[in-house]
Amino acid sequence: MPRLSAPAGFALFAAVMLVAVPLALAGQGYWLTVLTTAALLAFGSLGVWLTFSIGRINIAQGAFALIGGYVVAILGTRYHVSFWLSLPLAVLASALVATLIGWPILRLRGVYFAMITLSLTEVASLAFLNGGSFTAGASGITSIPRPALLSSSLAIYLASAVLLLVGIVIAWRFAVSPAGAVFRSLRQGEELAASLGIDIARYRLLAFVVSSGMGGAAGAMFAAFQQNVFPTSYTVNDSVNFMLYCFLGGLQTVAGPVVGTFLLVIAFQLLSAIQRFQALLYGIFMIAAMLFLPNGLMSLPQVLAARRGRADEAAPR
Amino acid sequence: MAQILIDGCVLAASYALIALGITLIFSIMRLLNFAHGELFMIGAFMVYYVYGAWHLPFAVGLVVAALVPALIGAGFEKFLFRRVMRIATREENTMLLAVGTAILLDNVALFLFGEEQHGVPETISGVLQIAGGFLPYQRLVVVVMSLVLIAVLLGFVQFSRPGRAMRALAQDRDAALLMGVDVDRTSMLGFAIGAGLAGLAGGLLVTIQGVNAGIGVDISIKAFIMIMIGGAGVVSGALLGALVLGFAESIGYSLLPGSETYLLIFVALVLFLIVRPQGIMGHPWG
Amino acid sequence: MSLLAIEGVSRRFGGLTAVNDVSFAVEAGEILSVIGPNGAGKSTLFKLIAGFLKPSAGHILLDGKRIDGLRPHSIAARGLVRTFQETTVFREMSALENVVVAHHLRRRGTILGELLATPGVRVEQQEFLSESREILARLGLAGLEDELARNLPHGHLRALGIAMALAVRPRVVLLDEPFAGMNSEETARAVEIVRGIRAGGITVILVEHDMGAVMRISDRIVVLNFGTLIASGTPAEIQQNETVIDAYLGRADEIAAL
Repeated sequence: MPRLSAPAGFALFAAVMLVAVPLALAGQGYWLTVLTTAALLAFGSLGVWLTFSIGRINIAQGAFALIGGYVVAILGTRYHVSFWLSLPLAVLASALVATLIGWPILRLRGVYFAMITLSLTEVASLAFLNGGSFTAGASGITSIPRPALLSSSLAIYLASAVLLLVGIVIAWRFAVSPAGAVFRSLRQGEELAASLGIDIARYRLLAFVVSSGMGGAAGAMFAAFQQNVFPTSYTVNDSVNFMLYCFLGGLQTVAGPVVGTFLLVIAFQLLSAIQRFQALLYGIFMIAAMLFLPNGLMSLPQVLAARRGRADEAAPR
Repeated sequence: MAQILIDGCVLAASYALIALGITLIFSIMRLLNFAHGELFMIGAFMVYYVYGAWHLPFAVGLVVAALVPALIGAGFEKFLFRRVMRIATREENTMLLAVGTAILLDNVALFLFGEEQHGVPETISGVLQIAGGFLPYQRLVVVVMSLVLIAVLLGFVQFSRPGRAMRALAQDRDAALLMGVDVDRTSMLGFAIGAGLAGLAGGLLVTIQGVNAGIGVDISIKAFIMIMIGGAGVVSGALLGALVLGFAESIGYSLLPGSETYLLIFVALVLFLIVRPQGIMGHPWG
Repeated sequence: MSLLAIEGVSRRFGGLTAVNDVSFAVEAGEILSVIGPNGAGKSTLFKLIAGFLKPSAGHILLDGKRIDGLRPHSIAARGLVRTFQETTVFREMSALENVVVAHHLRRRGTILGELLATPGVRVEQQEFLSESREILARLGLAGLEDELARNLPHGHLRALGIAMALAVRPRVVLLDEPFAGMNSEETARAVEIVRGIRAGGITVILVEHDMGAVMRISDRIVVLNFGTLIASGTPAEIQQNETVIDAYLGRADEIAAL
């Protein structure tokens, strides 16, 4: 089977997202909501994918989604700032926090980085919970006004789909450019990269800041879409989910996190018929994926080809 | 003041069991057991059912609280982690698997035990008064049993053959292999013991705090905090981490509302890790 | 003025002194070898020069300017590059990609330019690609360009490591045991490659155990033992030097006595 080239695949995906889906699901509020959620989560996962490419396990994306959400919420409800202005401000806020906190913690690797980023998600949640009247504490911020131009489910869906497509382009540009090669070199040998003149601290920070900015943007869009944000809107579970989506899809390609997110989000919804077992099957699915497809779903063609190859070898002549 | 010290000791002693368990697993397998809190929760539920619901002796409950998580842990190691660690192309694979096991246990527990909070009757009633503070006998029992279990564990790791094999694996995997240590069996035993410790901690603390199917994540996070403070993979680090967290909680709770305490603990932790990423007793690396 | 000056450099690890008050100079265009029995402090010295460790005492000057205390990438930017013994390459990339990445310091564009694929960046990338192919060919790796580095045999990995160092166009290259594990044929080829590097205007400093290769290739040799510099001079001088002979023989005696 001939492989789909990247630009063709992207065009196909864009066509599906921007044309086919709206045509097919125009009146179906529920499924539009599901796809909106999937698109925004996929956008956040692409950020986490970028940090995976420099060899870090990033469990902090939820924190940045929370920051993005609260920026939009506070600016929208209290200062009546238009969403179209508070969205870039949300990205900026996330990027700023990521710069401040990223600089010292990116020296860490492996489980240490994972644990400290996990702590960051908790810090964010607790900080917003205890932010007094500024963040409205446990009751969160509700009645966030819908953005101008985005009043219908379809409009919000389209905006999210566009955001996702932009995210894919950003991730892809990083992947194929020399900067992306530098990122990959960081994962494979930071010392070697440094000896070749690569400013490893700066590049690590770049990956983390871009990732966190994307998290902030996703959180901002969610706040506008769900029209509320709470300290518990993003927990450790959500940060872990971003990681899962990347892994399930596969870390080698930009398509991986997108495929992983859509598959899990849609599957989760389809399983809602078996509501009671939904999350349980989720966990089993994850374990099975680790056992049988450690390189993610996008590696399925290779895995199948390898099995066929072995079967061919074993067949009697 | 005395109350803070008393509460701190109670928390520290029981948290130490949790920290030692996750440290044991980490030191042997270089694996962060994301499901540690869930194993604690299962242990707590075992005591709830055996002792609280079926009225069998508390000691029996504790044995079950240790055994069931231990068996689960051994199963995880043998059927899941062993295989993935062999075929994994990236180190993240095993971490993701660990996360998967946590999600699995969380949801199995929710399915089997439901959402409600449960408590158990006191095993011993009455309160001791020390230096102006109150120490319910129940908590004293928890402290004493925790300390006994810690001593038994440390003795086991230090003096027994399997224990020495575990220490060998933890210190130098290649050398241990050369000396003929059965890596698979030692890992399985280590995971089982680590899981059992978590279960025991749960079984003891259920007499004070009760249990519900949702506490897994929170306890796992506490376990992570302790090894971040003390240093991952080091026994002394685990104990130090438990001491620090136990007292941080007791001091914090006496002064501030619960969530603010944890906010401060986390912020302090992040700042501390920036300065000393390997924890108090951890090995410097990089 | 010497290209590289090591002045009174020491490095202590807790109670252990790995490098003890070492001083020597390296002139532009020469091939200098650092030799010594195992544990003499040669690797530590390399790490100190390339910026992976900070000296406990002393200075290191490149072109008269201090580089001790600078981070490795800054030292590389000033023209001093090292190769490594282990993990010499980026294993998941092809040989060609490895050498292209090594052109990092030669980029004239910005990261944003790279993301936008400006014409300038595209031209530059083409340059780097063809230059990388040429370097690989020079080092005998033509035809292996698209092979994943982790599939390459040991000898080729070493050559790839050197190819990457060359792509930086450094003024000084530190080669860490370039002849390790080679048979006489491979060593002869490697000697030619190192001579070729020098012919290209790059000063070479080697750490090496293969005495034959060292004697053949070096303009000067510096000998370390227990972290201290015990001799320096031409190969002929070193071969006659009693202290050096003792240092090596002394070890052999110790072992024989057991």
